[in-house]
Amino acid sequence: MRVIGHVAVNVFKESVRDKVLYNLVVFAVLLMSASYLIGELTAGQDVKIIKDLGLASISVFGLAIAVFIGIGLVWKEVEKRSIYTLLAKPMRRQEFLLGKYCGLVLTLVINVAVMTAAYYAVLAYMQAMSPPNLRASWPAPATDPALLKAIALIMLELMLVTAIAVLFSTFSSPFLSAMLTTAVWVIGHFNQDLRDYGATIPSPLAAAIARGVYYVVPNFSAFDVKLQVVHAQAVPFSYIGLTTLYGFTYIALVLVGAVIIFSRRDFK
Amino acid sequence: MKVHPAAWVVLVLLFAAVVGLQMIQAAQPPLRVPNGASTNVLYVSSPQVLGRAALSYRALAADIYWIRAVQHYGGTKLSKDPNKQYDVLYPLLDVTTSLDPYFDVVYKFGSVFLAEPYPGGAGRPDQAIALLEKGLRTRPEKWELAQGVGFVYYWWLADYQRAAMWFNRAADMPAAPDWLRPLAAVTLAQGGNRASSRVLWTEIARDGDADWLRRQATFRLEQLDALDGIDVIQRVVHQYRGRTGMWPASWSEMMRAGFLRGVPTDPTGVPFQLDPVTGQVTLDPSSSLNPLPAAQPTL
Amino acid sequence: MDAIRTEALTKHYQVGFWRPRPYLALDGLTMEVGQGEIFGFLGPNGAGKTTTLKLLMQLIYPTSGRAEILGKPVGDVGVKRRIGYLPEQPYFYDYLTAEELLQYFAAIFGYPPAERRRRAAALLDEVGIGAERRLPLRKFSKGMLQRVGIAQALINDPEVVFLDEPMSGLDPLGRREIRQLILRLRDRGCTVFFSSHVLADAETLCSRVAILANARLVAAGRLTEMFAFEVRGWELVVSGLNEDVLARAQQCRHVIRATRLAEGRYALELPLAPPPERTLAELIATGAALVSLTPIRDTLEDFFVRQVSAGGSRPRLPESA
Repeated sequence: MRVIGHVAVNVFKESVRDKVLYNLVVFAVLLMSASYLIGELTAGQDVKIIKDLGLASISVFGLAIAVFIGIGLVWKEVEKRSIYTLLAKPMRRQEFLLGKYCGLVLTLVINVAVMTAAYYAVLAYMQAMSPPNLRASWPAPATDPALLKAIALIMLELMLVTAIAVLFSTFSSPFLSAMLTTAVWVIGHFNQDLRDYGATIPSPLAAAIARGVYYVVPNFSAFDVKLQVVHAQAVPFSYIGLTTLYGFTYIALVLVGAVIIFSRRDFK
Repeated sequence: MKVHPAAWVVLVLLFAAVVGLQMIQAAQPPLRVPNGASTNVLYVSSPQVLGRAALSYRALAADIYWIRAVQHYGGTKLSKDPNKQYDVLYPLLDVTTSLDPYFDVVYKFGSVFLAEPYPGGAGRPDQAIALLEKGLRTRPEKWELAQGVGFVYYWWLADYQRAAMWFNRAADMPAAPDWLRPLAAVTLAQGGNRASSRVLWTEIARDGDADWLRRQATFRLEQLDALDGIDVIQRVVHQYRGRTGMWPASWSEMMRAGFLRGVPTDPTGVPFQLDPVTGQVTLDPSSSLNPLPAAQPTL
Repeated sequence: MDAIRTEALTKHYQVGFWRPRPYLALDGLTMEVGQGEIFGFLGPNGAGKTTTLKLLMQLIYPTSGRAEILGKPVGDVGVKRRIGYLPEQPYFYDYLTAEELLQYFAAIFGYPPAERRRRAAALLDEVGIGAERRLPLRKFSKGMLQRVGIAQALINDPEVVFLDEPMSGLDPLGRREIRQLILRLRDRGCTVFFSSHVLADAETLCSRVAILANARLVAAGRLTEMFAFEVRGWELVVSGLNEDVLARAQQCRHVIRATRLAEGRYALELPLAPPPERTLAELIATGAALVSLTPIRDTLEDFFVRQVSAGGSRPRLPESA
C-alpha cells in the first residue's frame, strides 16, 4: 500500500516536471477570454454558454491528459527498461501498476480541481456583473453548486478512461493504445445509439451483436449530465449513485485485467 | 510469481457485475431533457460551423444526424406526452442536408415527417417545402425534389395552382417520368380531383423506395376507393329516398327492397355506416381507413 | 545455504509472429554460488548471461527448472529486501536528480525519510558522485549513470548483489574504483554475482567463475582449479642474437617460436624442456645478451576462448513446441 503511494507520488512528480500542468494556464486563459468575448456579443445567453464551454473544456483537457499520459505510463518504463531496477526491489508487479494508475488519477484530480476553481471564479464574476433582472431569468444561479455533479461524473469518466489507457499500455505501443482508447471512448459515447440501433434493425444477428456491444462497452454517455445541470434539471442522487457504482466496478474490472496481463509478461 | 488463480475468478465476477449494472442502468427512466431546448446533438446548431468542424467526416456526421432525426421523429411520435414537440426535427434535417446535400432519403422522408399533421408529424408543410427547396438549390435538376414540393402543396396545403406549377417544373427536368406532365395538367384543370390524387399515389405505390412509403400509398388509394364507394352508395340511397320518400333504416332494408345485392363494405371489408335520420353514408368509425381526406370539391 | 542456486534453469522464447519458432536462450543451467564469494559469470554476447540475470530477478519466467536466492524461490518479496541489482545499460527517470532517485528507491524499502537521505548521500559519496547529485539524471554521462546504478543496487545494504556488466561505460580510473568497491563488499560479507566480458577483472576479483556459451554452461569452478596455473613454457627476450644461431635453435626445437622485435632483438618462446637456463647459456655463448625471462601460464582468456569454441553451436529445439 505504501509502495503504491510512493509510485503514485513519483508519477505526479513526473507530470509536474514534464510541465503537463501548464495546460491549466491555457484553460484558465481560454475560459476567461471566452467569457469576456461572449459577454460582448450576446445578451442573456452568455451564462449558459460559459457553463457549457467550461464543462466541455474540463472534460476535453482531462481526457487529453488521461489518454496521452496513460498510454505511456507502463509502456515507457518497459521500453526504456527503468522497470528492471524497480521490479528487483521489494515491489509486487500489481503494486507497480496500481501505483502508476493512482499517480495519474492524482494528477487528474488536481488538474480538475484547479480548473473547477477557475471555472467558478469566472462564473462568480459573471454573477456579480450581471444586472438583477437578468439574473432572475436564469434557471439556476451562475455559480450553481449542481455543476459539481457534472464535474464529479466527468472525473469518474476520466478515471475510467485512464484505467483503459493503462490497460492498453501494458501490452501495446503508445500509438496503438491511443487509437484503441479513443475508439472505446467514442463507442461508449454512442452507446445509446447502439441500443436504439439494436432495437430497430431487422437482422437478429446484427441486433444481438449491437446489444452485446452495448452491454460490454463502457457506457460513457451515462456520465454525461452536462445538459441537465446547465438547464437546472434535476439529477437525482440515486442516478449519481448508480452511475458511480457502475464506474467503480468497471474501473476495477479493467485494472484487474491490466494486472493479470502485466503479471504474466516477460520483459525481454 | 505468476497470476493467482483467484485473480481470474475476480475478473469474471467483475465482468458479470458490470454487465448487470449496465442492465439496471438501462432499465432506469432516462434523465429528462428540457422541453424546447436543443439537445446535445444539436449543440452546434449552425450547419456551417458544424460542417467545418466535421472536417472530412461530413458524410459520417450526416449519417449520425440523420439517425438522430429518425430517432427524434419516432420517439416523439410514440410518446404519450401531451405536450410533445417535434421542435428539433427541422434543425436536425437542416444540418443533415447541409453536411451532405446529396442525401436523398433525407429530403424524401424528411418532408413527409415535417408535413404530416400534428401529432403524427410536425405539421409544418412550410418546413417541408423549405427543406425540399434547399435540396433543389444544390440539385436543381432533381425532379423528385420538385415533385415532392408539388405534392406537399397538393396534398397538405390544397394549393392546386402552385402544385401544378411545381409538377410542371419537375416535368421539365431531365429524366423526369412521363406522367408528370399529364399530372400537372389534370391538377391545374380540376385541382383536388380524386383522379389526379389517384395517379400520384399509384405511382408512389409502384416506385416508392421504402415499404413504409408504399404502404402509405396503398392506404391512400384505399381511402380514395372508399370515397368512391361512398359516393356510389350515396347515390343509391338517394334513389331509395326518391322512390320511398324516406331514408332507409338499414342496409338490410335496402337489400330487401332490391337496391343492393349485399352489405356495402369499404376496401378493408368493414361495412359502411348508414345514418337513418340524415341518410348519410359514412365509414364505420372502427374502420382503419379513418380519417378520410377532407371533403374534396364536387365530383 | 547457498546464496544463489539454479537447477536445470531453461528459457525459450517464441520468435516471429506468423510462424513462431522457438529460440533457446538458456539451456538447463545448474550452478551454485556460495555466500560471501565473488562469482564471475562469463561468456560471449548472446550466451545467455543477461537472460539468467533476468530469470533470477523474475523479470522473465522460466520455461522449466528452478532458481533460488538465499534459500527462497526467486520472486519472493522478502528476499528482494536483501538483494540489489544493476541491469545492463541502466536507464533511470531522467526528470529526477540522483539524490531523488536514491531516496525514492530507499522509500520503497520502507526507510523513514531521514534514513533515506542518509543512505542516498553515503552511497553517492561511495561511488564518487559529488555535486552532480543535484542535477537531473538526463544530464548524466554514461559513466555517471553507471555509478548511480551501482549506488541504487546497494541502497539497502544487500546480502547478495547482482551486477550485469558493472564496468561498462567507465574509464580505467572508474573501473579501478569499482573493483575496489566490489572487494569492499566482499569484505563486508556480501556475495557479489557479476557478469562481464572483461576477463581481466574476473581474473583479479573472482574466486569462482562460470562460463556460458550458446545458452549452455561449459565450465564452472574455482579459477585456480579450472586450468593449469602451472608454467607451460617460457618467454625469453634476448638482444644481439645471430640469425643462424636462431635458425639452428629452432631446428632442434629448443625454440618454438621467435618474434623479431628489433635488429638482433628477439622474443623467443621456449618449451618446458630442455630447461631454459641451458638454452639461454647456449645463446649467450654465441654472443647474445639476456633482456628478460618470464614464465608463460595459461590465462583466463585462452581458457575462455578454448571453452567457447569447444562449446559447439546453439542447440536447436524441435519446431513443434
